[in-house]
Amino acid sequence: MDIQPIHPAPTAFLPRYVFSKDHKYIAKQFLWAGLLFLAFGGSLAMMIRWQWAYPGEPMPIFGSLFLSKTGGVITAGLYPSLFTMHGLIMIFFAITPILIGAFGNWTIPLMIGARDMAFPTLNMLSFWTFLVSQMLMVASFFMQMGAGAAGWTTYPPLSDSVGTPGWGQTLVVAAIFVTGVATIMGGINYITTVIRCRAPGMTWGRLPLTVWAMWLTAILNVLFVPVLGSAGLLLLLDRLFGTQFFIAGASAVNGGGDPLVFQHLFWIFGHPEVYILILPAWGIICDLVSFFSRKPAYWYKGSVYAMTAVTILSAVVYGHHMFVTGMNPMLGRTFMTFTFFISVPAEVLFLNWLHTMWHGSIRLTTPMLFVLGAIFVFGLGGLTGLFLGTISTDLYLHDTMFVVGHFHLTMAAASFLASFAAIYFWFPKMFGRQMNQTLGKAHFWFSAVFITLVFCGQLIAGYAGQQRRLFDPYQYTFLHQLLPLNRWTSICAFVLGASQFLFVYNFVVSIFAGAKATDNPWEVGTLDWATASPPPYHNFDKVPHVQRGPHEYSDPEVKKALGRDWIGQWEEMPGGTPAQAAPKLAAEGSHG
Amino acid sequence: MSASVTDILRYPSPRERDENTAWLGMLIFLGSWAMLFAGLFFAYGAVRSTLHRWPPAGLPKLPVALPAWNTLVIALSSAALQTGYVRLRRGAMAAPFVLASFLLGTLFLVLQAVLWIKVWRSGLLPSLGPYPSAFWALTAFHALHVAIGVGALLALAIGTARGIYNPARHLAVRLWAMYWHFVGAVWLLIFATVFVL
Amino acid sequence: MKRLHAVWTFALALGLSATAFATPLANPGWGLPQDASVDGYRVDWLIHSTMFFVVLLFVIMVIWMAIACTAHGRKHEAKYEHGDGRKQITMALSISALIFFVVDGNLFYHAMTDIGERFWNFSYAEAQPGAVRIEINAHQWAWQARYAGPDGKFNTQDDVVTLNDVRVPLGAPAIFELASTDVIHSFYLPNFRTKQDAMPGMINKLWFEPKETGEFDIGCAQHCGINHYKMKALLTVLPRADYERWLKEASANSARAWDPADTIAHWGWAWTNPKPIEGDEPLPAAATAQAATPSHQEGI
Repeated sequence: MDIQPIHPAPTAFLPRYVFSKDHKYIAKQFLWAGLLFLAFGGSLAMMIRWQWAYPGEPMPIFGSLFLSKTGGVITAGLYPSLFTMHGLIMIFFAITPILIGAFGNWTIPLMIGARDMAFPTLNMLSFWTFLVSQMLMVASFFMQMGAGAAGWTTYPPLSDSVGTPGWGQTLVVAAIFVTGVATIMGGINYITTVIRCRAPGMTWGRLPLTVWAMWLTAILNVLFVPVLGSAGLLLLLDRLFGTQFFIAGASAVNGGGDPLVFQHLFWIFGHPEVYILILPAWGIICDLVSFFSRKPAYWYKGSVYAMTAVTILSAVVYGHHMFVTGMNPMLGRTFMTFTFFISVPAEVLFLNWLHTMWHGSIRLTTPMLFVLGAIFVFGLGGLTGLFLGTISTDLYLHDTMFVVGHFHLTMAAASFLASFAAIYFWFPKMFGRQMNQTLGKAHFWFSAVFITLVFCGQLIAGYAGQQRRLFDPYQYTFLHQLLPLNRWTSICAFVLGASQFLFVYNFVVSIFAGAKATDNPWEVGTLDWATASPPPYHNFDKVPHVQRGPHEYSDPEVKKALGRDWIGQWEEMPGGTPAQAAPKLAAEGSHG
Repeated sequence: MSASVTDILRYPSPRERDENTAWLGMLIFLGSWAMLFAGLFFAYGAVRSTLHRWPPAGLPKLPVALPAWNTLVIALSSAALQTGYVRLRRGAMAAPFVLASFLLGTLFLVLQAVLWIKVWRSGLLPSLGPYPSAFWALTAFHALHVAIGVGALLALAIGTARGIYNPARHLAVRLWAMYWHFVGAVWLLIFATVFVL
Repeated sequence: MKRLHAVWTFALALGLSATAFATPLANPGWGLPQDASVDGYRVDWLIHSTMFFVVLLFVIMVIWMAIACTAHGRKHEAKYEHGDGRKQITMALSISALIFFVVDGNLFYHAMTDIGERFWNFSYAEAQPGAVRIEINAHQWAWQARYAGPDGKFNTQDDVVTLNDVRVPLGAPAIFELASTDVIHSFYLPNFRTKQDAMPGMINKLWFEPKETGEFDIGCAQHCGINHYKMKALLTVLPRADYERWLKEASANSARAWDPADTIAHWGWAWTNPKPIEGDEPLPAAATAQAATPSHQEGI
């Protein structure tokens, strides 16, 4: 009695290699698209850092390639587009496709024992819709008045037709709308698949925490991305059809639109969005910490409750982005209180991770190193959030580099490192080969150390009072002395950027010439490792019957019976029989 | 080449055939769309609450009679479609009801166009402020959804008449009925908040 | 071995936190800008006390991870526990609660009192003798300031209007009402530890009381276009007598130069009613009598 019967793989070129409905293939499409735009967004960051380190000087390499019109120099006119597009690209076109598009698609069906997503056609459409949005984003760069330039937050009136005229900003808003549609399509798929397509025996309490995280992320996506859609839609109407939702009159004038409404809509989306970007990372961390400590995940239910609590609370804290907008003080105090509450589930998660490691048998593999790095940076970044969620300290710190340092440590650094943990971990399953572990570890050390230095540098600059989004901070008397700090931070950023080539080389070469991987090189018990590397088109020859949870490591009973420190979710526990190899659920080489 | 193209269009995945799963997916999709409209209503409410007078001084009030008729039309359309679906499952003749639903949906769009022309001629352009902006944005965006639904209803009507949809195969009708009722419910909200209140 | 770990961890953490707490407050270099505000110490103290806890927790976490990776590595036999026993759950929740009530509690209490007693307490500011009222109109990319002049009313002939030049007296609160002609700007006073957005279509408020004379930066803290980085102004804190002298002279000058036909220059508005917030001190009679009708309700 198979929930999803086996169907043959398509043989023609287009349905197999372009418009594939196979979640595994779509996952790889998202991964490539995401990595490409990660490089793009990262390059924009390098340009921003160049301007702060060597203001007014021509930039090497990038200058001659992209800035020839201005002699290689970054101008005040270009600068707003740099930070705007950097933010939008990194959030919507890099982290989202990698963590959610690629790893959501890859892990969910395999880890729950399904043959594919609930709606494979919808899955294929979601990738192609996403690609269209990427194209719109790229197109905005070629518009006469430049790309979007109102900050990733796109606040009107600056982002309205009055503040930033031209097709560039319009295309950017349209791109965000379209990527939102793609995200919702994916979200519908993920939620339905986890509810409806679990293998027999895969109860909610036996789901890997990665799946829990992806599922909660999808719920947040489905509920709150449409709110961004509504904000974007109203902004587009203002820009294209002359409506007056967000255009306000001059001072002390009644009537006209209200720019504050955009901020409410944006942050009702925006705060859940940061949890959308970190929840997959948290889930992956939860699982990998257990896998590589060879110990069950400490208080599994607590982690689930914590992630669920964060999901629910994420919508009611959004006002902490708006403390200085002149909102009603009662409302401000309420948002501050809820913001303090939302720190508690994160504390529980941290304690669970730390306790899982304690008295474990830790294997410092490449994925584990990245996971530890992610815990490190998220701990640092999360703690800095305390200063920003508190109104009185936020009055000083709002819109300074302290905010930038905070969200980069939590959102960028933690998700960035967790993404690489996922890539190094699932690479053998995805491509049937192993990446070079020495290069991987080198990549880790460079990335973790320099990413910490860069964003700590930003925290310090913000503490000293430097505002965000300044083309030339040194115009201000009180910031004159920060040039050495900013220069040092930039140099760390350049090293960080350059060290990513360790990964690029490793990734590309290993796909074609890496050592062949076994089915379960990490000796891990989740269902995805029960099948071949890479899995056949239909994932499992025989749909597994789940016997236990995903974190059964170092069970003395298992050691006695099977002679190893792990047992798969699908394995029958022999009653005192001699050690046997884990049964394969799919023949190698039968992949599509 | 042609073989691969039809492959894409016709290749049904087994999972997609499961009716309950599709219903769940549709439910989540409508929840998502409800949040989009919720955002629009939030914006409308927020903008309206900061202004003392609504409509603002000097701007004409919106007509109520025409949208009221439209509310009746779309409610009847939903009722017709639901009746058609229930009959289809039973095996009774359903095509006239689905067709009626399509015609009523089209009538809704026609009356909406009449309303727009009337409001446009009275000089209430969207650029005059948030009051007309809200009216134009909400009704236009809603009408876009109605238009999509009407297209689907035509296809469903033809399919039902031809027997493509029958007691054994009616998932498409069920899902589009959910969509159509949702669109009708949104109109009720628009009517109440934009025209009446 | 375990107890020794704990002792060393805690000692190191305490040492680092104490260092963080003791970080010098004033510039130059990478510290907080010079604190020129009577109430600035509240923000600085809260930042530093929280930093103490933050560093403590972070160092404990790092040392915990370091010990786990070294002492509980490959050679160590893992303990098969699920951490879902009653004792373990109680421990986890207790630690979380402890951190929450101590760290978050400290922040919560002080923030509530800081904004309730001072930063957002405009009735207090208005009630102080000698309080100065200034209207700020933000543009792309400059700050205009308006003083009511001897008649005490805004938008009249004797108003003083400056460009990128705000002067306030020492020894009394300076209360600002902020507006914008075009996009959102943010009136940022780093040396007074405060900022507030200038939103088009709204009037926002901000106040501080300077504690020393000098020249300080005013910055824009909300991206407002291509020259956002250059939107700086100068705040000068003058001794009271010097301030009064300057205001009198400037007011006389502007009264002479006043042009009734130049309506764009008459951007001022009637000072809004200071609205009492629950828990604030009550409004003095003088302040309510002077205020005109509000021109715009506070948004949500």
